[in-house]
Amino acid sequence: MSRGTLIYASQRLLLITFTAIVVSSIVFIGIHQLPGNAIARERRLNPATEAALLHHYNLDLPWPQQYALWLQGLAHGDLGESLVNEGTQITPLLLREAKTSITLGLAAVVVTVVIGMSLGVLAAIRQNTWVDYVASTASVIGYSVPSFVWAFLLIILTVTGFYAWSGGQIYEDIGWGKIEQIPVPAIALGLPYAAIVARLTRASMLETIRQDYVRTAWAKGLSARVVILRHALRNALIPVATILGPLITGIITGSVVIEFLFGIPGLGKEFVTSILSRDYNIVIGVFTFYAALIGLANLTVDLLYPVLDPRIRY
Amino acid sequence: MATVVPSALEAPEELQLVAGDELPEQVTLWQDAWRRLTRNRMAVVGLVIIGVFFVTAILSFFWTPYPTWRQALGPTYQGPSVIHPLGLDDYGRDILSRVMGGAAIALSVGVGASMLASVIGIALGLLAGFYRGKIDLGISLLINISYGVPDLLIALILVVLIGRGIQNIILAIAVTAWLGMARLVRGQTLALREREFVEAARSIGTKDLKILTRHILPNALGPIVVQATYLVPAAIIFEAFLSLLGLGIPPPAPSWGSMASEGYKALQIAPHIVLAPCLALSLTVLAFNWVGDGLRDAIDPRMRR
Repeated sequence: MSRGTLIYASQRLLLITFTAIVVSSIVFIGIHQLPGNAIARERRLNPATEAALLHHYNLDLPWPQQYALWLQGLAHGDLGESLVNEGTQITPLLLREAKTSITLGLAAVVVTVVIGMSLGVLAAIRQNTWVDYVASTASVIGYSVPSFVWAFLLIILTVTGFYAWSGGQIYEDIGWGKIEQIPVPAIALGLPYAAIVARLTRASMLETIRQDYVRTAWAKGLSARVVILRHALRNALIPVATILGPLITGIITGSVVIEFLFGIPGLGKEFVTSILSRDYNIVIGVFTFYAALIGLANLTVDLLYPVLDPRIRY
Repeated sequence: MATVVPSALEAPEELQLVAGDELPEQVTLWQDAWRRLTRNRMAVVGLVIIGVFFVTAILSFFWTPYPTWRQALGPTYQGPSVIHPLGLDDYGRDILSRVMGGAAIALSVGVGASMLASVIGIALGLLAGFYRGKIDLGISLLINISYGVPDLLIALILVVLIGRGIQNIILAIAVTAWLGMARLVRGQTLALREREFVEAARSIGTKDLKILTRHILPNALGPIVVQATYLVPAAIIFEAFLSLLGLGIPPPAPSWGSMASEGYKALQIAPHIVLAPCLALSLTVLAFNWVGDGLRDAIDPRMRR
């Protein structure tokens, strides 16, 4: 890593921190303008308990003071305590869930890149043949069908379908915790984006395989594998890499729905349950986490560019 | 509509082709684009599907085979039959009627959110691109920060804060959907404001507002229309996401997303409850994407592969 890269990365880290603070502050202030108090339950609490609870969460203070205290906590990496499950510290909870979400997200990125690039390369080297048409049509269908529809189809296939075929021997056990439970949600999450990657790879491959240096590589008598994978694809990847940033944001957004459907204990599911139970402290915490995650993911992608294209330097 | 004549630019080439016998027919950008669009097979299929979708949506306001909310029309979870072509759901409601009603919701949300987001995006994009400086800095900062947060989370939290009516859903979607449009319009404006015809307009003392609306906007309209077309399916999917998570338009409204969500628990015994709305949703989105791709190729011939 050069000096320039380090400077660039640290600037970006500053910006990510800034964004995370701004975003969570907006959400914090927005939520604290809501009427009513956050600990209101269906059952009426006796006034003394309520006062004690409000005091426990600092909710008896005016909001600017609450905000200052919250910022102080944030500086120490402390996101406070759950409003619904008293005594549950948010930071360790979200760290654990972030691990789950990142595992699922990375698996989805692998699905996206592997399926997307294979289809794209195939379509490009067989341009205007049936392979190309099938791959191109598959890719429009792929990104028009939202991830949750893929999820339903995959569940029908792997649960009901496999069960019927194997006479009850093999079937997908929807859930989380075992390695074999990762692929199905990851494929559902990754397929729409795989389609986008396939389109981009095809377009960009079509451009590179017409370049002179690729013709030279063929003329030298190199094998098709080397020409296509080492000479053409390597350069075709540069435009494809630009989509990785938005793609990661998309996968994170999509994971909210997929985690909810598959019951995966990640950040997205936590967000939905917390927002439905009005556990605003966790909602704010998840926002902070997501802002940081997206920033870091984008930074990683940007640091990948110079690896793909040595002309780029920071 | 804009009356930009690109064929005037291409005229010399075409004149050689027709050997000067007669001048090529004058066509506007939009006539030209329409002609190319209707030659694109996928785009035509898409247009037909969208046509069916529109008619169904409008029809559902006046007539559906059964009321979308009427329960116990027959055995619950009943599969497709002659009188209920798509079967019945977990409350014994007719799924075909509900899918039709869902088209109306998808249409309102898709078109509504796309239009609202486009208006916001165009206005802010024009301002940022035309005035540059501090205005641009402010708007660009807003865009960059907003890109750092998943749009679905913002929409979910807004829906919780402002309620789940259809207007609120449209608003919650548009709040983040304008970003892409603003970026696009800003870029276009930055390029167009340096062009000679804008300089000419400015030199004769044309007001900023008029330059923006009469000179810059019409010339950026092509990409704007394409982007607005893509925004419709994105908003439809977005609404389905919200409904699926239980924060969309409240039941018993037959939103495709909530139909899928309600059917999910019975996916193994009655997959038709989930598959019908999912199929309608995917087909609609697919059609809009085909038309969007067709429009993009038709408006900017260089983009054609």
